Amino acid sequence: MGIEALIWAAALAVPPSAVIAAYAFGIRGKRFYILGVGCACVLVAAALAPLPLRLLAQPAWLGHPLGPLPLVLVPFAALLWLLTVMVTPTGRMNEATLARTAAVCLLSMGSFLTASAWLLVLFWAGTVAVYVAGHAEPAYERARRVAAVYMGLSVILLAAGVGLTSWGVGPAAARIGAGLILAAAMIRQGIFPFHAWVPEIFERGRIGPAAMFGAPQLGTYAALVLAAPHASPALLQTVSVLALVTALYGALLALFQRDARRGCGYLFVSQSALVLAGLDLPSREALVGSLILWVSSGLALAGLARCVLVLEARRGRQSLDRFHGGYDRMRVLASCFMILSLAVMGFPATLGFVGGEMLVRGAVETFPALGLSVIAAGAFTGLAVMRMYFSLFCGRRDAGAHLSLLRSEGFGFGLAALLLLGLGLAPRGLVRVLDRAGAAAIERRGVGNARP
Amino acid sequence: MSPDEALRTAVLACFAAPALALAAVAAPSFFRRPLPEGRAGAIVQTGMLSCLAALLAAALLWDRAGGAPAVLALGGGWVTGGAFAFDLVVDGWSLGFAILSVAICGVVSAFSFRYLHQERGFHRYFILLVAFVLGLLLVSLAGSIEVLYAGWEVMGLSSALLVAFFHERPAPVESGFRVLAFYRIGDACMLAAAALLHHWSGSGSLAMLFSRSGAEAALTPGHAAAIAVLLIAAAGAKSALLPFSTWLPRAMEGPTPSSAVYYGALSIHAGCFLLLRASPLLSQSPLARGLAASAGAATAIYAALVTRAQSDVKSRLCFSSLTQVGIIFVEIALGLKVLAFLHMVGNACYRLLQFLSAPNILHDIHELENDLGGSIAQAGAPAGASARWLYLLALERGFLDGMIERCIVQPVAQAVSRLDRLDRRLCGSLPGLAREAADGD
Repeated sequence: MGIEALIWAAALAVPPSAVIAAYAFGIRGKRFYILGVGCACVLVAAALAPLPLRLLAQPAWLGHPLGPLPLVLVPFAALLWLLTVMVTPTGRMNEATLARTAAVCLLSMGSFLTASAWLLVLFWAGTVAVYVAGHAEPAYERARRVAAVYMGLSVILLAAGVGLTSWGVGPAAARIGAGLILAAAMIRQGIFPFHAWVPEIFERGRIGPAAMFGAPQLGTYAALVLAAPHASPALLQTVSVLALVTALYGALLALFQRDARRGCGYLFVSQSALVLAGLDLPSREALVGSLILWVSSGLALAGLARCVLVLEARRGRQSLDRFHGGYDRMRVLASCFMILSLAVMGFPATLGFVGGEMLVRGAVETFPALGLSVIAAGAFTGLAVMRMYFSLFCGRRDAGAHLSLLRSEGFGFGLAALLLLGLGLAPRGLVRVLDRAGAAAIERRGVGNARP
Repeated sequence: MSPDEALRTAVLACFAAPALALAAVAAPSFFRRPLPEGRAGAIVQTGMLSCLAALLAAALLWDRAGGAPAVLALGGGWVTGGAFAFDLVVDGWSLGFAILSVAICGVVSAFSFRYLHQERGFHRYFILLVAFVLGLLLVSLAGSIEVLYAGWEVMGLSSALLVAFFHERPAPVESGFRVLAFYRIGDACMLAAAALLHHWSGSGSLAMLFSRSGAEAALTPGHAAAIAVLLIAAAGAKSALLPFSTWLPRAMEGPTPSSAVYYGALSIHAGCFLLLRASPLLSQSPLARGLAASAGAATAIYAALVTRAQSDVKSRLCFSSLTQVGIIFVEIALGLKVLAFLHMVGNACYRLLQFLSAPNILHDIHELENDLGGSIAQAGAPAGASARWLYLLALERGFLDGMIERCIVQPVAQAVSRLDRLDRRLCGSLPGLAREAADGD
């Protein structure tokens, strides 16, 4: 990592660290929230700083094995934090929660920047610890235990896999290590048969931290950076097939859910499975499509989960069995929910369309049946999010009081929606950067296997 | 300015006009400052008229240039390296359907401006209508399959949201969702066709697909048949052909002007137009031609039967329209392209007139009945057991809705519910949670 990269990493670490330090030093109340919002805005600006500084053209300064990938993923993590800080209802976000979101953001950005496998294991375990610590209350007992069991297992597998791949025991051990890393990634991403914990933590835990924990997709990142160079093509293809089955399964189950939180959980399962599937396919187009989908679905699903949280704060738990109404009293939220939904379903003029199309084409190119399952998953996902929209916003007019959004909430949702639309209409810059990252990822495949 | 540049400018202008109108009406509504009705209506109508003028200018320029099909690459490599081509094709068919579409939407927007006066969703209606026009323009002028798919999706979503226009009541929303579900089947088929076309021919160019020599050169007969069957399924879902017909009466929940433009005039004919464009592909495959003809014929018979037993005017009109759509499919399958296009134009205009005048006619009939003091309808019960059975079959629209519910929706819902319970049990069986799960059960 060069000096520019170190300066950038240090600048990125300051805002979330400031929030954590302020919490540790006992700053509380409104001042703390203002500090949180300010730091999140500064972080987004710092994350986007390399773009106007022309550091994008020569990503070698980053010293990252996947070239310019961190230049997309780091702003993505920063945006997720900004979205969280702006739109989480104050009743649901105390000072400790805000500090934890800063810690998760810091750890996610650290993961996306590091080329060291052991640091990645540390950051991975750190996010798990922060998530589990955020569910200390007895009401979240089940979510805490489920997450602890699954995530604990994933940390052990990841550490074992990294040990086997990095200690140079031999190609066979490296392949086993890659398999263990892929297993850890599958658990973290909720790939069949390790999927059950994701909807569970959405339903029975806190939905905001669940979204913040799931949206950056560290499992996918670990699979791409740590496992892909050592794994055999057959293993990668097996993971792809399992991920596509999961994508279809998650979308189908999301479509028939009765609870909005659980529905969000299955949508996360489906979308993150699609991303992982594309990254493990041998096609570069599928890989780039997956990288785009990573950003698009992460932002859109985090936004959708926050919309559900905002609605819950105003009118309690949201069932999908009936129509809750209130469209006329919260048009901005309904419009943003619609745009985020469209991005999830891959509607034209959203970023999801570009990613989805490229993924489908790449998957068909590899094996037509796989491509068709991506299409089916997309169709079910579209129906699931639209059903959610109809259920949450359509129906009676007198849907309770205090439904209008706060200015910060409107700004946060509006920003996410505009980003997804803007990048969908003018995706060339983003695609070019991710295409280079995809080329680097394809080049690295099998490199580990070739070692003596 | 060269003739090519002038044509390109005119075609771009026909997209820009409704896009600007859409932005002008949608943006203030998003920021909770909706425009006054008069201004919003004027903007939309100006957008429609400008679009129509641009299309007529494009038609004139195209004719002067010799009338040969022209491909306009408006955004070559829009995403990267030409992977997504934003190509438009300008020829007689595309311009004809685009002009018809914009003219009809313009008439309907003028009608709706008064019909929906002071309606709560006034702005939402016009936003969706203009989005529909944009979708139709994309479908009409599509030169690459990505553009076609984008337009297809925009049309579908705007259509479903207009069915659910009166969203304070559950029935329209449920109908809107059901319509969307059928459209998604069509969209999935379209996307599959797009991906397979790229895979097999290495290009998404519709100019190639729409010319007989191009299609023959780029695709083997088997591949051509597979893509043609997928396109027939996509067209069938959009045009409510059997077995997708059940969404059509549900779509009547929307406002009458939207029913007129979508299910009387344009949306229902979009499938016919797609098949008309893809007829060189059909001609390569007897299987696809047979499928299109049989689906069209079966739909025509079914819809003709159902029309006669419907009790409300909108359902009756939409099934009448569907009867003609079925016949148009047969005509396309037989290779009668000009007849099919003229039939499409005639049916669209005639149904539009019927839909828009229906509320007035109903009003006049009610006035007349009030004056006469009784009903003027003279409906007799069908005589004979078979006639009664046929009547019941027609009245219940062939029991298709119930069959789909019983044979597809319910079994899938039950299977999914079982899987969901299994997932919950799996988590409940984890160490430390087994007791809680047992208590819960």
